[in-house]
Amino acid sequence: MAEKHNSQAQALVALVLFDVGPYRTALEACHVLDMTEHPSAARVINAHSLLYQEGEHPQQPSRWLTLRDTPTASTWQLGVNGEITLQQLPAKSLYPLPTLLQSRHHSPALCGVTFVGEQLVLLLDANKLSLQKP
Amino acid sequence: MNLEPSHDGNAKEQQATQSLNEALTAQHDDESVVDVDEPTQQLVLFRINGQRFALPGSAVSEILPSDQPVYYVPELPASTEGVLHLRGNIESVISLNSLLGLPTPEAPPSGMILLVKAAGIRSGVRIETLDDVCDVAQSLLQPPPETLSRSLLPYVSALWQADERQALALLDPEALFAAYQQGLG
Repeated sequence: MAEKHNSQAQALVALVLFDVGPYRTALEACHVLDMTEHPSAARVINAHSLLYQEGEHPQQPSRWLTLRDTPTASTWQLGVNGEITLQQLPAKSLYPLPTLLQSRHHSPALCGVTFVGEQLVLLLDANKLSLQKP
Repeated sequence: MNLEPSHDGNAKEQQATQSLNEALTAQHDDESVVDVDEPTQQLVLFRINGQRFALPGSAVSEILPSDQPVYYVPELPASTEGVLHLRGNIESVISLNSLLGLPTPEAPPSGMILLVKAAGIRSGVRIETLDDVCDVAQSLLQPPPETLSRSLLPYVSALWQADERQALALLDPEALFAAYQQGLG
């Protein structure tokens, strides 16, 4: 039991971090298959359109992340901005959205937050992201 | 040695005796008014938009300073300030202005934050100023009148006439959180 508790405390989660508008954002790395400079998949979505209402923080993607759509086993691409980094963060530093916010946020994919240094990072659920319509 | 009190001294003694009697009588009167066994409720008194409110002390687990960093989370209603990172926990921070029918302040939020727990939910609540934390006899808490504004009525569990000028509304934190979750405010 103590070993299990200890391993949970030390567990790391691999995340791909990028920018969506002015905010640092992250997806679990296991969902990201590739990164390209230009879109090539049949289905491409700008992350802005999934997270923000139309016209808010408009920005053309500078990179495209190829993601696996788990339910259909197909792939699609998510347009993102900023520096794209792979980081392993302690599982205990990843927080679900507080209860009150879960009931009021507009993006179903927004599932939690974490901090890298003093910077807030929004955590996205890749499975719910792929189900959202742009 | 002359132990006989002078006329003046006698007057003073008489005056002092009368004062003592008055004091003892007053003390007796006080004791008869204050029932030490009367149930009391701890209240956290504060203001939002200049209006006086209270929350039950039992629902306020912590009072955070105004310089506590709050991180903005996008795509949430204006009544949500964001989240705060407190000793390894993440807490939401909300404003009650909209829910209580009060104007939204134009200036950035600068008051303290009450960490409120109710109905299994914990959240920071931004206030304008903290007035006091005090115990109030439950007999002094009156049911809210039907004439209370419709915007306040669902969230006020009692009124307390704290002074002659203004009554203070005791808010029901469970009702506030339930309404917020339902999309109000």
